[in-house]
Amino acid sequence: METWRLITTWGAPPEFNMGLDGALLEDPDTPPTLRFYTWTPAALSLGYFQRYLEVPAAAEAFVVVRRVTGGGAIHHTNELTFSIAASLEHPLFEGPVTRSYERVHDLLAHALAKSGCEPSLRGDEALLSDSDETGMCFHHSTALDLAWGGRKGVGSAQRRRDGRVLHHGSIKLGSSQYDTGVAELEGLDDPAQLASEITASFLEAGGIRLQPGVPTRAERLRADELGELAIDPDFVHRR
Amino acid sequence: MRPDDRHYLPSHEWVKINEQTATIGITDFAVDELCSGNEGDLVYCDLPELGRVVDAGETFGEIESVKAVSDLNSPVGGEIVEVNPEIEDHLEILSDDPWDRGWLIRIKLDQEMKSELLDVSAYEELIAEKE
Repeated sequence: METWRLITTWGAPPEFNMGLDGALLEDPDTPPTLRFYTWTPAALSLGYFQRYLEVPAAAEAFVVVRRVTGGGAIHHTNELTFSIAASLEHPLFEGPVTRSYERVHDLLAHALAKSGCEPSLRGDEALLSDSDETGMCFHHSTALDLAWGGRKGVGSAQRRRDGRVLHHGSIKLGSSQYDTGVAELEGLDDPAQLASEITASFLEAGGIRLQPGVPTRAERLRADELGELAIDPDFVHRR
Repeated sequence: MRPDDRHYLPSHEWVKINEQTATIGITDFAVDELCSGNEGDLVYCDLPELGRVVDAGETFGEIESVKAVSDLNSPVGGEIVEVNPEIEDHLEILSDDPWDRGWLIRIKLDQEMKSELLDVSAYEELIAEKE
């Protein structure tokens, strides 16, 4: 049994959310950390390499940030967002990128099944939620994505740097203005409830005990710096 | 056996020195980690502007696969004098030939090579531990 740090920040500003994840990725002394969060105000995040103009919703969204992780855009509302920061040597992440997704998604599927859906990796079949030309993560699927009811239910992306990994995930409680047609979680409207299920899944299926904690002072200071970058118009519009 | 005419970083970049010019790329292992044999999973590679000076160990670019963005680190220090013009539009080269056509940048050396660079035997041992 191993112990990780659990950080929960409900309703935090978009720049703080991105800044803290960046800080957790950077610090080699940071213990493996699972973080749950939501966004106030709702914001749209672009993937690290996405072109701003290829995401029509970006011009309409109230707040836009750019993530350090890749993939498509996500409208962060009506969802549970999570991140995992750990060493690439950790058994959850060692080896090929694809294997690390399978392991993380196994833990999530274990939790989501308790919420009444039947999640599985998409495999070879396209999804009903797939849609061209929106640039939205939930409208583009790969074989490794978790889906149920023929629709994408979890958006995810990784950043790998200096022997560490940041794994970003978004689990929709239902569709939103820009994330339309996604998999629904029937009867579940509280992100904290889903976070509890995932915490239990890490223990039961992953042998990982989550110890509630808070960011260190150094992490908070670095989060402030990185958060300013994430929301900086030059960075948001860099591509 | 991987090429023995170059040195390697634990983060899976290689460097081949020819007099004062260093050619840098990523290994077959790095490519496989990113895309598991599906070359179409590599989607973007961001390489630096000519003239930029990098230190040994510094990040000079980034590569994105369908599910992950990874940094590209320079094994040596110096000025970037050439960037492979084929890579951005033909990422499949990295899968097909990471050792030759798949080179990423060339650097005019201004620093001694660091001793922590691995020779091919040490790199093979590192990979064997991971496989």
